[in-house]
Amino acid sequence: MSETSYAVLGIFDNPDALMKAIPKARAAKLGTVEAYTPYAIHGIEEALGLRRSPLGGMVLVMGVLGAITAFGFEYWISAIDYPIITGGKAPNSWEAFIPIMFEVTVLFATFTAGLGMLLLLNKLPFFGHPVLSSKSITGITRDRFALAIEAEDESFDSTAAARALLEAGALEVEVLPAPDRSPFLTSDYILRTLGGIFAACVVAGLAMFFITKWFPLLAPMKHMQDQPRLDAQRPSAFFKDGHGMQLPVAGAVARGYLPAATGTQEQAASLVNPLPRTPEVFAIGRKVFTTRCQVCHGALANGVGSLTAAYGAKPANLQAQQFRDYPDGKIYWAIVNGKNAMPSHAPYLSETERWAVVHYVRALQRAQNAKDEDLKVVAP
Amino acid sequence: MRSDAALPAGDLPAGLVEPGLTVGKVTAGSLDDQVLAFPDQRPPKQWYLALAFTSTMLLIGLFFMGVTVYTGIGSWGNNSPVFWGFGIINFVFWVGIGHAGTLISAILFIFRKRWRNAIARFAEAMTIFAVMCAGLFPLLHVGRPWLAYWLFPYPNQRALWVNFRSPLVWDVFAVSTYFSVSLMFWFLGLIPDIASMRDRTTSKLRKVIYTVLSVGWRGAASHWQHYEKAYLLLAGLATGLVLSVHSVVSFDFATSVVPAWHMTIFPPYFVAGAIFAGFAMVVMVLVVVRESMQLKNLITMRHLEVMNKVILGMSCLMGYSYMMEGFTGWYSMNPTIQHTFLNFVSGTYAWAGWLTISCNIVVPQLLWFRKCRTSYFWMILVSIAVTIGMWFERFSIIVISLHQDYLPSAWRLYRPTMVDYGILLGSFGLFFTLVLLFARVLPVIATTEVKAILPDAQPSHHGDERHV
Repeated sequence: MSETSYAVLGIFDNPDALMKAIPKARAAKLGTVEAYTPYAIHGIEEALGLRRSPLGGMVLVMGVLGAITAFGFEYWISAIDYPIITGGKAPNSWEAFIPIMFEVTVLFATFTAGLGMLLLLNKLPFFGHPVLSSKSITGITRDRFALAIEAEDESFDSTAAARALLEAGALEVEVLPAPDRSPFLTSDYILRTLGGIFAACVVAGLAMFFITKWFPLLAPMKHMQDQPRLDAQRPSAFFKDGHGMQLPVAGAVARGYLPAATGTQEQAASLVNPLPRTPEVFAIGRKVFTTRCQVCHGALANGVGSLTAAYGAKPANLQAQQFRDYPDGKIYWAIVNGKNAMPSHAPYLSETERWAVVHYVRALQRAQNAKDEDLKVVAP
Repeated sequence: MRSDAALPAGDLPAGLVEPGLTVGKVTAGSLDDQVLAFPDQRPPKQWYLALAFTSTMLLIGLFFMGVTVYTGIGSWGNNSPVFWGFGIINFVFWVGIGHAGTLISAILFIFRKRWRNAIARFAEAMTIFAVMCAGLFPLLHVGRPWLAYWLFPYPNQRALWVNFRSPLVWDVFAVSTYFSVSLMFWFLGLIPDIASMRDRTTSKLRKVIYTVLSVGWRGAASHWQHYEKAYLLLAGLATGLVLSVHSVVSFDFATSVVPAWHMTIFPPYFVAGAIFAGFAMVVMVLVVVRESMQLKNLITMRHLEVMNKVILGMSCLMGYSYMMEGFTGWYSMNPTIQHTFLNFVSGTYAWAGWLTISCNIVVPQLLWFRKCRTSYFWMILVSIAVTIGMWFERFSIIVISLHQDYLPSAWRLYRPTMVDYGILLGSFGLFFTLVLLFARVLPVIATTEVKAILPDAQPSHHGDERHV
């Protein structure tokens, strides 16, 4: 008898009866025997002759793959693509890669176990199975045990199957009709789905375009350069005086700019030039002299500078005997404190530069009043 | 595999026979009627009151999270030298709470502890909610949560990669893996239960939702075979994972050179503390669930007593760890570590240190008495003490070590702000709101697992002669 039923379910109310019925149902050889139970029953897989679950091997393979993937990724990034030394460790310090390697291994293995079981082995989600729309399903997921003889081909005989199940001890039987096998992926369905996705993309794209155009930056999502900050030349409510730029604390000294030497010029006479007479020091002194001193005191320090006439003052002729007899400290004092019309140069000359100029002035004085023995020094 | 049949009494000596895990007559059908009926019923007034209370807490938290996002991390109390304040304290606290769930669902499963079945579902749900609460804090602490994806290594236009030698990156991987795996574990466990709900509900909308969520589960023996295998594998993997996650969290501290952080005892010490705090939270919530949902016959006093024993054991481990910290400080002959340990017992924050010691070590010793292990009053008292104690333990570890380290000129006290407290409150609100919603819409007991261990649930085959 050829018909279109899919399977016959026999219902049992305890696992012992189910287990006893399985060999009888299998011996009838009317179709595939399958059980539907509310929870896992021990030993049912042997009774039904199911193959061992291959999930363990799948998980092992994917776990190893996860470990290799993570380690390779970390190694490639840390040692090859972006070898930045952090914490004094070598770029290929693999020990530090192990925690992430472990986590990724577990992640791969877990998702293989979970999704592999559902999607690959159990072929779920599947909502069209005839058992799901049977009358018996409320019992199956509650406290009843169903044994099914399922059709293998067109020659399935549901009457014989039902009889076999009743003989095996089933309390009742239910014949399941063949599932509706109308094709799921019709061309019409695919077209409508693709059209829907396309329309959604267009809407989302346009929406994003106008949102980012009209609201480029919303309140908290600012760029880092947009945070509140003090601008030197702008008013600011942060300080009491309302200025963005604040004067230094009283008594503050910038690095390398010690305050001007105190005391009189006579007291400064005892200061000793701390700098050695080296070409580098003379180079600094010369640079400072030509930029700061030369306009008034002249290139030769003889008091004849380019600004003298316009300025109306008479700069000191440093070649005069009076100044050649000055100790270094007195010249230094004059540079730092200023003298007569000459202003203090302390604000823009560092300690090194001040003393370097003193050396340079000494060199100019000696060059202008050279003695015969000086030549021997120059010409070896 | 998962569900060992109830041990037959037979010829076993009386002391070895396990007492039943249920009280009174429980059958597979009555179990469904008892547990799966909740989602179909209108919840009692108390449920709405509790939800109003917890969601108010959540809203307060959301407000302060908004303040944080809008004004920046400056609204928190973190400042030099205590750059890790409430953010990390709460993160470690909540991740720890989550660990109890995985322990119950995975480790006790591997050990074939059948008492886990009735409480595993709830504990797993609490794991997921706790990890969600935990994840909030690093997310907010990065200051610009919308850029948090920078934490992951992905090819970007700045040609930058993350530093795989940083324990903070390990944390990103560990916690996100932990969340995904816990969710997977939880969802797989739920599938057969949701299938049961699908087949008993009368509401059309619920039927659709449950049908989709149960992915068309039909209880076929060939499916159960793979399912059981997957569950066993997941339990094994989650066991390693749960031990690794809090170890990695402890690496955040242990791999630095901050005094009293740089210790090898940190990973086991953190894992034990996590299980300790998590069990306390589970006991607290289960007592409420057991009473309010009339589940006394399924979650028996025996379940609670066993969990209280675990709490007691973990408490002793914590006491050992604290002593070991003191010993390490003394034995290191490093004056800075010694100073930090002395700060724990006699410094500005000694009150937090003594609160930690008394709540975690002293109070749980009550559980040596059977009377305390089986009395609601005492077990709730101990659980609340442990929750407070474990929060302050993280406070002590982080704040005491940081506020006075190697550079005395940088020493400064830490003062949390209103925003800190508000977000902490909000995280509790989030947790309990999710717990309440879960209890309302999903089965709070893994009915499928409990059905499988009921008496006579398994066939008497295999020539088992003891079974009459």
